[in-house]
Amino acid sequence: MTNLLVWPVLVPLLGGLATLLAPRLANPLGLACSLATLGAAAALVVVFADQGPMILALGGWAPGLGIALRADGLSVALLAMSSLVGLAAGVYATGYFADPDVRGRFWSLWLLLSAALHALLLSGDLFNLYVTLELLALVAVALTALGGGRAALEAALRYLTIGLLGSLVFLLGVTLLYAGYGTLDLVGLAGALRPEPVAWVALSLLTVGLLIKSALFPLHFWLPPAHANAPAPVSAVLSALVVKAAFYMVLRLWFDVFDPALTQAAANLLGVLGGAAVLWGSWRALRAERLKLLAAYSTVAQLGYLFMFLPLLLALPPGPSRDVAFGALVLLALSHGFAKSALFLGAGVIQQRAGHDRIADLGGTARALPVTTFVLALAGVALIGLPPSGTFLAKWQLLASAIETGQWLWLPIVGIGTLLAGAYCFRVLGHAFGPSDRVGAALAVGGEEIPALLLAITATVVLGLGAAGLWEFLALGTAFDGGSR
Amino acid sequence: MLPEYIVFGLTGIGLFVIGLRAALVQAAALARILAINVAGTGIFLVFVTLAYRGHDAAPDPVPHALVLTGIVVAVSATALALALVRRLPATPGEDGDD
Amino acid sequence: MIDSLIDKDWVEALWLILDFALAVLLLGLAAAAVGTRDLRRGIALFIAFGLLVALVWARLRAPDLALAEAAIGAGVSGALLLAALRDVPPSGLPSVGARGLPLWLLNLGSVTLAVLLGWALLLALAGSDGIRLADLALANLEHSGVSNPVTAVLLNYRAYDTFLELGVVLAAVLGVLALGPARRSVRPAGPVLNSLIRLLLPLLIVTGGYLLWIGATAPGGAFQAGAMLAAAAVLLRLGGDATAGLPGAVGQRWLLALGIAVFAAVGLGVSTGGGAFLAYPHDWAGVLILLIEAAAMLMIACALALAYLGGRPAGWTIGDREGG
Repeated sequence: MTNLLVWPVLVPLLGGLATLLAPRLANPLGLACSLATLGAAAALVVVFADQGPMILALGGWAPGLGIALRADGLSVALLAMSSLVGLAAGVYATGYFADPDVRGRFWSLWLLLSAALHALLLSGDLFNLYVTLELLALVAVALTALGGGRAALEAALRYLTIGLLGSLVFLLGVTLLYAGYGTLDLVGLAGALRPEPVAWVALSLLTVGLLIKSALFPLHFWLPPAHANAPAPVSAVLSALVVKAAFYMVLRLWFDVFDPALTQAAANLLGVLGGAAVLWGSWRALRAERLKLLAAYSTVAQLGYLFMFLPLLLALPPGPSRDVAFGALVLLALSHGFAKSALFLGAGVIQQRAGHDRIADLGGTARALPVTTFVLALAGVALIGLPPSGTFLAKWQLLASAIETGQWLWLPIVGIGTLLAGAYCFRVLGHAFGPSDRVGAALAVGGEEIPALLLAITATVVLGLGAAGLWEFLALGTAFDGGSR
Repeated sequence: MLPEYIVFGLTGIGLFVIGLRAALVQAAALARILAINVAGTGIFLVFVTLAYRGHDAAPDPVPHALVLTGIVVAVSATALALALVRRLPATPGEDGDD
Repeated sequence: MIDSLIDKDWVEALWLILDFALAVLLLGLAAAAVGTRDLRRGIALFIAFGLLVALVWARLRAPDLALAEAAIGAGVSGALLLAALRDVPPSGLPSVGARGLPLWLLNLGSVTLAVLLGWALLLALAGSDGIRLADLALANLEHSGVSNPVTAVLLNYRAYDTFLELGVVLAAVLGVLALGPARRSVRPAGPVLNSLIRLLLPLLIVTGGYLLWIGATAPGGAFQAGAMLAAAAVLLRLGGDATAGLPGAVGQRWLLALGIAVFAAVGLGVSTGGGAFLAYPHDWAGVLILLIEAAAMLMIACALALAYLGGRPAGWTIGDREGG
């Protein structure tokens, strides 16, 4: 049944309403709805694996006049990650917020965030994407401010104003496309697009708007304060999912809609910015004094890798070699999502136990919080790209594609970025294994450490070993070529 | 030959750029929110110009609906931004009176 | 130049002059509103700008937008801006820090951008047939359940946009509520304001209901109607009612949930027979759309009123005794 596509949006949205109406029951309701959202996502995965791409013409109107939801391997894979990370971070949050009031507010917004992400991933309409982008931005800002401190509010205000500018630039691109091609449906648009100035200007506007949202260097400046000052479970999802949603849109628009109008020069520019992001973000992560700030700068760097794939994808001929590189890109995005959310949850555990997250004062963590220290190490494995993590395979493929297309520039950047990532991860572990006992006495495994552990294991082991399945999954066809179904 | 009412479309572009420039120059958050609203109105004006098809023909209702959605989204974002602006100078959680 | 225009056609020329005057006035007001350092002046100019925009919408045959702009764009936004300025002295207003670009570079960039975008827009219009979705939308109007084409797009063809848009409104108001309690202190209104409120209040409420009802066939609808009710709430707040006429906290929670809940229930209800989400059966479309709009109106009014209060009214905190 095609209405399957609305459930990953409806379940969390209605769950958000339920927690709004019954704030005292927010914890059980929120967990139940997160679980049900995961169920809706799992149903989508199963049906997709069985039947291939899905399309739902909402309201029964043909796409164009109406809005269509579309699901293919890329959107379903990201949706599965989103609901898993959302559930894990939600479980962690039940213990993180002690005040039942804050918890109630958290759950309503949290479930709205999940609905926004899934609506974005499933949308097949350009203006509808704008609405989902704004929904996502407002919820993310509200969650950032949930901590209530001055730094959090300031970061939230900056996040909001920058994000609004990004959405407006995006919306102007939408306007130009409607002016030139008379449709908002992505597939209809793909069919009508010609390589001409209107398409180029519109694509530039859409891309710049999304680059602001996905914090590509040098438009990243708003991200570290927002991600470092939000409550830990919120930071986890902002870093793992929210910035990636904007990147997903870049990918979707570039390769499924604007393919005929793309130029290698534009892709190279984004690749160079990505490379700069890798170097700058990794360097700042190495210099960061707080664990959450380190994690935030690491996100800037990891997003850079994702953008470095764009010039490679465009240079590779459509077909098997491009598909392999594309799979590697998705694998990298998924691995980073799981690893970074694990790292933020681990940082949250430490912050609550020790009362701070200053890296230099982490001594004794290994003894007091062995599981969390293990989480930091596992997340580090995935961020650096050591085997058996998915990142290792993805970076390997990145290098292979760079050699295949003769784009040698990316080789040293990947090398230096990996060394810097190793340095900042081992710096944290070095302090964590240090002698001091400022973090507190040893403790049996706390329940709050489990979600982070599961996320970290997923990033390092599950995705690494199951990577072959991901490539097959992505090869099941696209819902965006107009011809299928 | 393009119709004369295209002047409104170009005015929309002008408003967008005026708003964008001010949003980059202004340091005060409240001024920046004003500027963003002006830029958004510029985009809406471009949309509504697209919908207009002369004195006699019925306009295209789709851009009108999109702009209506856009206006509501804009006021929602403005409300959240202004709430942050109102909250920031005060001690968090404490009411202050002027 | 004027001479040659008069030679052609008086009416056309007058339209052209009027259009140019409107355009110049718009640009001038916008530049003045965002250019001034005096925020109070900037907000006043911005409200004037919003009213002028409403006039332009009317000129471009978009009466639905003219109503919405006057009520929401200029009215509610203006009220929110003035409330922010009232709460915070201009000297204490937070700054988000401007980037240190040299001004000449910024100006050069702005002009270049404007030329580039204008050129792209002209190219797009020149290369397009100008019909876009208009004919399709108008041709299907008889199947949409309403005869106002804008309402047909908003609540039928693209109802999912509107559905998510209510999510945006909810997200914003939840964000506002999460920031802290609303300020409770109110000044009692003087006799003049009080009698004005008594006069305006029923008018706003009746206008809201009328706009909701008429939206199916003529300009109007849930958003304009919701803004009217919100305006009534703002007036009550100005008159000294701390809760702006809203029901208690539990009632507010239900009002906020109502818009999306009814929308989703209708969307799912019509799909039980095997149809798509939000695919209204033809005979029911009109009444279902009215139902959705009524719920959306109440939600929007409540959300805008809460945004004006700027925080949680009494009773929102668990364990708090519910106040007024």
